[in-house]
Amino acid sequence: MFSGFFRLRREVAWWQGLLFALGCLLTVLGVWWLATHGEPEQRLLSPTVLPSPHETFATFPELWFDRALTRNTLASLRRVALGFGLATAVGVPLGILCGCFPFLRAFFAPVSIFGRNIPVAALIPLTFSLFGIGELQKIMFIFIACVAFILSDSARAIAEVHDRYIDTAYTLGAARRQVILKVLVPLAFPSIFNSLRLLFGLAFGYIMLAELVKFGGESGGLGDIIITSQRRGPKEHILLVLIIIPIVALAIDRGLFWIQRELFPHRYGGSGILNRAVHVLLVGWERFKFLLVKPTPVAAIRQPTPSQEKAS
Amino acid sequence: MTQGTPTPTPQPVDPDAGPIGVSRVIDHPPIPAKLAGPPVVEFRNVTKTYNAGRPNAHTAIRDVSFVVQDIKDVGEFVCVLGPSGCGKSTVLRLIAGLEPQHPATTGEVQVLGRPVTGAGADRGMVFQDYTSFDHRTVLDNVTFGLECRGVSRKDRHDLGRQWIQRVGLNVDVDQYKYPHELSGGMRQRVAIARTLILRPRIILMDEPFGALDPHTRMNMQDLLVTLWREVEATVFFVTHSIEEAVYLGDRVYIMSNSPGTLLREMEVEPANRPSRQMQREPRFQETVAYIRDLISELEESRAAE
Repeated sequence: MFSGFFRLRREVAWWQGLLFALGCLLTVLGVWWLATHGEPEQRLLSPTVLPSPHETFATFPELWFDRALTRNTLASLRRVALGFGLATAVGVPLGILCGCFPFLRAFFAPVSIFGRNIPVAALIPLTFSLFGIGELQKIMFIFIACVAFILSDSARAIAEVHDRYIDTAYTLGAARRQVILKVLVPLAFPSIFNSLRLLFGLAFGYIMLAELVKFGGESGGLGDIIITSQRRGPKEHILLVLIIIPIVALAIDRGLFWIQRELFPHRYGGSGILNRAVHVLLVGWERFKFLLVKPTPVAAIRQPTPSQEKAS
Repeated sequence: MTQGTPTPTPQPVDPDAGPIGVSRVIDHPPIPAKLAGPPVVEFRNVTKTYNAGRPNAHTAIRDVSFVVQDIKDVGEFVCVLGPSGCGKSTVLRLIAGLEPQHPATTGEVQVLGRPVTGAGADRGMVFQDYTSFDHRTVLDNVTFGLECRGVSRKDRHDLGRQWIQRVGLNVDVDQYKYPHELSGGMRQRVAIARTLILRPRIILMDEPFGALDPHTRMNMQDLLVTLWREVEATVFFVTHSIEEAVYLGDRVYIMSNSPGTLLREMEVEPANRPSRQMQREPRFQETVAYIRDLISELEESRAAE
């Protein structure tokens, strides 16, 4: 009955895919259960190495209520969001300029090569001496870890827009600034957003690293829960946090992917709700632009109507 | 350069040879000594060499000279024909002022009496590749040039809808579609509307129908002829297809290859009847056969070198 699944590249229905994924989860749980069932002395793995599933999930209320899981998750997310937001605010505009003007790209090449090739963990000691041991250090660590990737990805996205779009825009009378703002940036933006989404996942991984290395007492965050549980227990909480992290990461990624689809329906096939929202904002801006810029009358462009032809 | 490739001249042309089919052959485009006003386009001994002075130097066109005169309120339809790699597109992009073809290595390219300094909306261009802006709807694509000039949203959308209609698209159905929802023929209609809405004096078309199937292609040819009469511009139309050139052109330039030089000019009867009908006529076929033989001779003389 399963022979059909072995046809090359055979697609599976969504519910079949779900069943297979559940099968994987159940297998992992089963192995976990087999390795840790029975009396503590007779287990394959002793409870100090790996607690049983039941023991692990039984400590969840304690993690949730006594150790303020939500607050700590939000603390981690806040750090990533601030650090990553700062890196985006700096990296994307610079990257766009680098993509438009190769001399700028050459200027920033050392920064971007250094930033992308340095093992980020090696930056932690430096960030402590530069930014202290508080929130700022963690935010700046995320910023430094991400900004070079964001810059070079944005520059590449701009550079990948085909020359023929630039040629077309120029022959339609666009000025250089208009080619950048109306053609290059909008055409590259889906790629830029996509790489931002993937890099955000990376940044979420880095924040754990930043939280695991700490001086002094409670600094909050999921990484802090892990390292404290490692030192003082309960060990079950390490496992729970390890399960929670991918779930949170997946939820964020899907959320961003939804935004991406709705912003760029022409590229990712969403229904375009956000795209229309942005459009409405732009129309609004244009409606009040006359206060700043005088619009060109349409009569300035000769049209094939006999009366106008004679007039011009 | 030791061999100094001589211009292949398959056979000398007798100026009084009389018409060939629907056309008349002129040996080389004559450069009139005196002109009434500034010509629409003027090439004077234009040569374009890439990587000049380096081992990989490549001359795309050599010593091309021609003049297209301004025919008041009508404009001319000039087709540029030649074997592949003969620099047809180079000529077009030099007129448009697009890099890297612009500027010419030597010689002078003038449009309406002024040297070309860069691209501008007075020389609209339609490319073979689909160049609709993917993030813009049909209406916003068509009105792109007006938007760049600062025409208000209402004005440009009114005009944009007129032009969507004029190129044979359905305003109600198509105006808010994105380019990826359109067929190749519809995309080229958008590209044509987007260019013509700006009423350029010169329209440059680089094999715009090259990627279309024969049926769509004929429809587009008829559409183009109709629109061109309305906008009264000079059209430069580069194509591989001899039938297309003879049908559309008032004038056909035949180029030889590598390095490209302008070899023949032909005056052709205007496209005053539908494409399907005109292309069936024996006189039309005769002209096509003549040009086909000429181009194969060029290809052979090149292969013999």
